[in-house]
Amino acid sequence: MSDKKEPEAKPVAEEVRIGVYVCHCGLNIAGSVDCAEVAKFAATLPHVVLAKDNRYTCSDQGQDIIKKDIKEQKLNRVVVAACSPRLHEPTFRKACEDAGLNKYLFEMANIREQCSWVHLYDRPGGTEKAKDLVKVAVAKAALLQPAEEVEVPITRSALVIGGGVAGIQAALDLAETGYKVYLVEKEPSIGGMMARIDKTFPTMDCSICILAPKMSDAGHNSSIQLLTNSEVSEVKGYIGNFHVKVTKKPRYVTKDCSACGECAKVCPIITSNEFDVGLASRHGIYTPFAQAVPSTYIIDMNLCLNKDGVIVCDKCMKACERQAINFEMKPETVELDVGTIIVATGADVFDPSTLPNYGYGKYPNVITSLEFERLINAGGPSGGRLLRLTDLQIPKRVAFIQCVGSRSNRNGRLYCSNVCCMNTIKDSLLIKEHWPETEVYVFYVDIRAYGKGFEDLYKRARKEGVKFIRGLPAEIVEDRKTHDLWLIGENTLLQEIYKVKAGMAVLSIGLEPRKDADMIQRLLTLSRTQDGFFMEAHPKLRPVDAATGGIFFAGCAEGPKDIKDSVTQASAAAARAGILMAKGKVTVEAITPIYTVEKCKGCGLCVKVCPYNAITMDKGAKHIKVIEAACGGCGTCAAECPFGALTQSHFTDDQLLAQVDAVTEQDADKKAVAFCCNWCSYAGADFAGVSRMQYPPNVRIIRTMCSGRVSPKFVERAFAKGAAAVLVAGCHLGDCHYINANYQTKKRVEKLWQKMEQSGLDKERLQLLWASAAEGEKFANKIREMKMIIDKVRLEEIEKAKKVFEKALGGS
Amino acid sequence: MPERIIHPPIDSKKMKPPKAEIHLLKDQCKGCGYCIRFCPKKVLEESQEINARGVRPPKIVDESKCILCSFCSTVCPDFAIFVVEKKCEDGC
Repeated sequence: MSDKKEPEAKPVAEEVRIGVYVCHCGLNIAGSVDCAEVAKFAATLPHVVLAKDNRYTCSDQGQDIIKKDIKEQKLNRVVVAACSPRLHEPTFRKACEDAGLNKYLFEMANIREQCSWVHLYDRPGGTEKAKDLVKVAVAKAALLQPAEEVEVPITRSALVIGGGVAGIQAALDLAETGYKVYLVEKEPSIGGMMARIDKTFPTMDCSICILAPKMSDAGHNSSIQLLTNSEVSEVKGYIGNFHVKVTKKPRYVTKDCSACGECAKVCPIITSNEFDVGLASRHGIYTPFAQAVPSTYIIDMNLCLNKDGVIVCDKCMKACERQAINFEMKPETVELDVGTIIVATGADVFDPSTLPNYGYGKYPNVITSLEFERLINAGGPSGGRLLRLTDLQIPKRVAFIQCVGSRSNRNGRLYCSNVCCMNTIKDSLLIKEHWPETEVYVFYVDIRAYGKGFEDLYKRARKEGVKFIRGLPAEIVEDRKTHDLWLIGENTLLQEIYKVKAGMAVLSIGLEPRKDADMIQRLLTLSRTQDGFFMEAHPKLRPVDAATGGIFFAGCAEGPKDIKDSVTQASAAAARAGILMAKGKVTVEAITPIYTVEKCKGCGLCVKVCPYNAITMDKGAKHIKVIEAACGGCGTCAAECPFGALTQSHFTDDQLLAQVDAVTEQDADKKAVAFCCNWCSYAGADFAGVSRMQYPPNVRIIRTMCSGRVSPKFVERAFAKGAAAVLVAGCHLGDCHYINANYQTKKRVEKLWQKMEQSGLDKERLQLLWASAAEGEKFANKIREMKMIIDKVRLEEIEKAKKVFEKALGGS
Repeated sequence: MPERIIHPPIDSKKMKPPKAEIHLLKDQCKGCGYCIRFCPKKVLEESQEINARGVRPPKIVDESKCILCSFCSTVCPDFAIFVVEKKCEDGC
């Protein structure tokens, strides 16, 4: 790792020799761009020693030509004008490397997705634009520098946060592979939500019966260290080298506890057991459930009479033969060094007392599906008998209400919680199995029986006589004498009002993000989706990776899922973490900051904007230290630095300014310069191309990794050079690939708007767009809108902008 | 566990804290007030009456709150208070 690098743009001793290859891509490009003409034009550009066009540059023959030219023509830079770099940049980089050229000396011009495909019927316009795009790429290529990727060692141990079924599975898999695992659980026992459920769908296995052996394995495995009743309090470091502090709250019972339970018998404190959602009682000294791992008892210090070291009541101590009770235990901080972290923090359940129409909390016979699980569980408070809470009788009719807190923008969350439909079907079958004469009604919006064996279970429930009624009750009203419930609503299939009397109503509550998810988010610098669940690095291709390196997700922390999916994801996360640890090292793409210590004033702005905490301040020396392994490569630090002490490798100020200059060299007043982030908006522009959405050819896209890289001076330079309009495009706020770097984009663009307004410029000329990779149409629409802005801009306005931003013409 | 607890336990009839019978030997009390101060359940308070030693002994505010920790008898310097478990059938 190095925090000092050579200053950028050091004079290149050797002569720059660029080879340009214009690809026809069959007719995909050649259909609307005159590739031969583009190649002819490219040959006239500075430093270009050869320019060729061929049918398929990505084919083996195409690549061989490049390799041969690198060797024979002594090319030291290669530009391929073809498809999107998101598609074939790795291919050509590999080809360059094969021919002995550093892969960072390769550059691509996207003349397919962002040119030929979006200007299908404008061959002259398309050709002109393609020439410009090649010119921009050549301008950047001339300034490219070779770069070596940094290798970082990886500690071969893992931290798993959360001891539910996902966390347990991940820990077991990693331990089995041979790594040391620390499993941190907030509650006194591991097991999580699955330990509280009676049966699992669709196989109707007993939940705790299949979980308890796993819990016990995790407890006994010598490679797994259980840290229960503990919370992660600090995480420092980066991929492969995390330093974690875990706060272990005292249990007041030592490991000598044999879980005989004599202490609980004599404890005078009685309260509701949280594990049973309060439906059963427990003592002040307790174990949450019979199969708890570790089985060691715990004292609830909020209720115990012995506070502040004064032993008021010593009944438990007297009862404990093994003298395992110790009131002098203090919280401890355990420090761990781990290479990878798996986040398996799970989900909370929706609180239905916020919906007054269902009367939860007001009518005792309205319960939640979680309370139902405890009631129907043989190990639960009622010994497995489904009792009404008012008279402790088995109800004659039970109504299930679906989507409580899910799929509603008014009452709860917008998303589907995935598990409630099948859970209800399973519960209805359990009732039918034990008490066949009890009638079961299920009120639903849609039944989602999408998984393996799910539909069969649904069919079985219908066959058993469970009545499914489409349409949720508008209201539940209680009969005050009998405490029976009236469910009133509309059957939307029959379009008639129903009024159903039931002895018990079960609200099928949805899952929601943990209330303390923001703490984990902060500790690990994660991002979350709009739903509030943790966001994966890529929803399709990296579904268990976090955007932050070395961190993986398992279970409901990433989104609501059932046991099978949680276990699947846990094994996947363990495998992903295992890959890193097995290699023992990781290479970091060379797009990290380049730091010029002489220019640094030690202001610390970069430290503040870095989403990865990859920059630390050396206060004494007034300069910074960049931890390359922790760096995500967004470049927002470089955009923030007011002194030019930071720039981003492979996306240097000089390179980006050269690209702006190349765009604006000719007919700037007819063009819009667009800065697009690699992950969302550039991909959105590609998507517009793939979908053949046609838009005017006035835009020239410059790619950065993140919109946060777009320094105000790039925008100013474009205007100073006479560009008619500028577009800055990034991922949606909250969806940034670099956690939150696009908030800096917003801040900077707003500042520029302010400056434009104050200088009497039309701020319309600078547009800001948030577009996802799927929003091709949105991108195309924006370009159409920009065309109108370009047409509207008068020459004197362009001149005025040139003057206002004159300063930006100076060197970088 | 983060869920809000709404319903009372259904085994609350079976799982009850022990019932206490508090015995005060009022005339033995010297009015130090330790029992009042140290009772974790705040069962006692100072009474208005004057005992044989000319001080105010404690009085019982709510016997049902007592959970028989017997700390009062531990701290009482004059052996003037003790608690026994009330043995009773259903209904107490």
